[in-house]
Amino acid sequence: METTAVYYDGKTARDRNVLLRHDGSSLVFKGDDTDETRWSIAGLHSIDTPTEGQPFRLTHDDMPGARLVLRDAIFISALVASNKHLHGGYTWKYLRDVAVWTAGGLAVLAIVAYLTVALLPQQVARMLPDDWRNRVGEQIVNSVVEGKKPCSSKDGDAALSAMVAALAVGNPDLPPISVRVFDLDLVNAFAAPGGKIIFTRGILGQAAGPDEIAGVLAHEIGHVAHLHPEAQMVRLTGLQVLISAATGTNGGDYTSNIAALAALLRYSRDAEREADSYARTMLENAAIDPLGLKRFFEKLMKMHGIKPTAGTPAKKTSVLDRIGNVFSTHPGTEDRIKEIRALPSGKTAVKVLTPAQWLALQEICKA
Amino acid sequence: MDSPTSQSHAAPEVLRFTYVPRKGLLKLTIVNFLLTVITLGFYRFWAKTNVRRHIWACVHINGEPLEYTGFGKELFIGFLVVFLVIVLPIVLISAGIGFYYGPESPLLPLIQGLVFLLIYVCWGYAVYKARGYQLSRTNWRGIRGALVGSAWIYSLLYFGSLLAKGFSLGWATPVMNTVLQEQIVNDMRFGDAAFKFKGRAGPLYGTYALCWFLTLGAFIFGSFVVFAAVGSVFGDAMPDWSDETLYGYIALIVVGVIALLLLGLLIIPMLWAVYTAKEIRTFSSYTRFDGAQFKINATAGSIIWLAVINILILIFTLGIFWPYINQRNVRYIIDRLELEGAIDIDRIAQSMVHMDKRGEGLADAFDVGGL
Repeated sequence: METTAVYYDGKTARDRNVLLRHDGSSLVFKGDDTDETRWSIAGLHSIDTPTEGQPFRLTHDDMPGARLVLRDAIFISALVASNKHLHGGYTWKYLRDVAVWTAGGLAVLAIVAYLTVALLPQQVARMLPDDWRNRVGEQIVNSVVEGKKPCSSKDGDAALSAMVAALAVGNPDLPPISVRVFDLDLVNAFAAPGGKIIFTRGILGQAAGPDEIAGVLAHEIGHVAHLHPEAQMVRLTGLQVLISAATGTNGGDYTSNIAALAALLRYSRDAEREADSYARTMLENAAIDPLGLKRFFEKLMKMHGIKPTAGTPAKKTSVLDRIGNVFSTHPGTEDRIKEIRALPSGKTAVKVLTPAQWLALQEICKA
Repeated sequence: MDSPTSQSHAAPEVLRFTYVPRKGLLKLTIVNFLLTVITLGFYRFWAKTNVRRHIWACVHINGEPLEYTGFGKELFIGFLVVFLVIVLPIVLISAGIGFYYGPESPLLPLIQGLVFLLIYVCWGYAVYKARGYQLSRTNWRGIRGALVGSAWIYSLLYFGSLLAKGFSLGWATPVMNTVLQEQIVNDMRFGDAAFKFKGRAGPLYGTYALCWFLTLGAFIFGSFVVFAAVGSVFGDAMPDWSDETLYGYIALIVVGVIALLLLGLLIIPMLWAVYTAKEIRTFSSYTRFDGAQFKINATAGSIIWLAVINILILIFTLGIFWPYINQRNVRYIIDRLELEGAIDIDRIAQSMVHMDKRGEGLADAFDVGGL
């Protein structure tokens, strides 16, 4: 087969007419001012997909700058028919290249996301100075309690201090904490950065005795000791950075957003287990009956009708409602309850508060 | 290489530009969309490349199509570099400051201000680099284009032009646009042949003044209408707040808002199409290539028509049919482009300018216009 074609050598823009023939394994072309050149079929690349009425351009591995332009439709279709790699369009190699680059990009993203969510927060949390923890902790408490003032009464404050003191017995490594009660109906407790632990009036009202509240307090101190609130802040900021970098937006401001605040105060299952485990050891060291925590736990589950596998109920408006209570946020709740056991034999439980102190604590918001 | 004795090249030729559509753009558009979704957006670099390859191949100069030789991965690597070196550090620093000092920290607006400044300073750089990348990936008859100057000088000029335009309430626009165009066109090459730009901004000022004063007039008229409407409603000593009149007021306000939007988004941009058309015509007449002179017959009406249809395509296909918008834009210019004067094409030798390995990272990050 033979046809005419135009050859560009890639060095000048000059067009050279050549006579082109297909001799099985290669294209051979020659012109008045072009020496005979042989392009192997295997090394050929098409610039275009063959299109009617459009020239068909070829190049070769040996001369990537050179171009051979064919216009003979019969020659082109014969050439392409016997050599599929010249057809152009989407080839497996092309799709594989795209897949490899895309997978690489996604892998980098996944690694960065994993670092942001799982590994970095705890490390960064440890490096944060105390003044930052206190300042940010206070901001978060203020947003969550919606501007309410903490409850305070002489006897109630004393009872709260007595409870903390009872927990400190046998626990010399107790992190610095401040415990406050707010006049809110909701049954909840949470820990913010800087060791700021908050109880609602509602949770005090639900408790049958001081050992139940002491158990909850021990759980919250567990969060404080493991820097969970700080780590969660770092985690959320990191996610915000990822989202804003990926989408080109500012990612939103978490302190002004109820949903984000709720996410901030909601810990992972592992974090809850860590806090539980810390609480169990703490209660045992202080000789406070862990069954109080267990009872309270079961009571809350029953109260909210939450089955161990269910998530938090939807359609809640307050942040404290949204985060769920101290125990109900994650599946596996039954296992967590099971792990709480009585004090070892030979250890007698102490009284956390006197009945008068307990009453004063429960009525701290009535002052 | 040709030795002088073997030179038998043809006489200088007049170049004619035609846009010859090819089949396959619809398939390309759909496959691009699907793959972009599947790859969570990563495919867009390949999508852009394929669309350019298609459109370039439709631009025929004396029967020989252009060829786009870029690769998707070049754009992707350019994006990665800009993302890691510029975007991520900026986002990290501002998030870190917001995190550490709280969202109300006065440092935050300061940082944001600096970021904006940085973006404006680098904008021209991005424009220049993107143009350079595209030229170096554009082949015709085996010869590629190039941009041979400094992107930083252009960037400084660009930033200066933004300031000058702002401080002069727009009046520096014709001068600054001319300076910028001169800077970039005089750096453009095809092979070893140069583009030349020479001309003054003076002839643009008549049209500019017309558009400027008409815009001012439109604003004054708009404000007058709004004040009159508000006055007629609230001018009464005792407004009657019965339901019927209240609905009347609401209707009036809605009509007013629609009228203002119409004015701001439709009438004023249409007005400025008159200047844009004049600028395209003037700049093309100032541009020469190897002794031949360009001419682009742009008119305000055709620009408005182009833009309106483009916007409708964008809206009704949810942006998926952007390749068609690119095609329309290229076609608009090619259909109106003439090069007056003959050129000795055979003499043009390959460009010796080094080709950047990466493409358009910054332009992609800023979403600089163009293809």
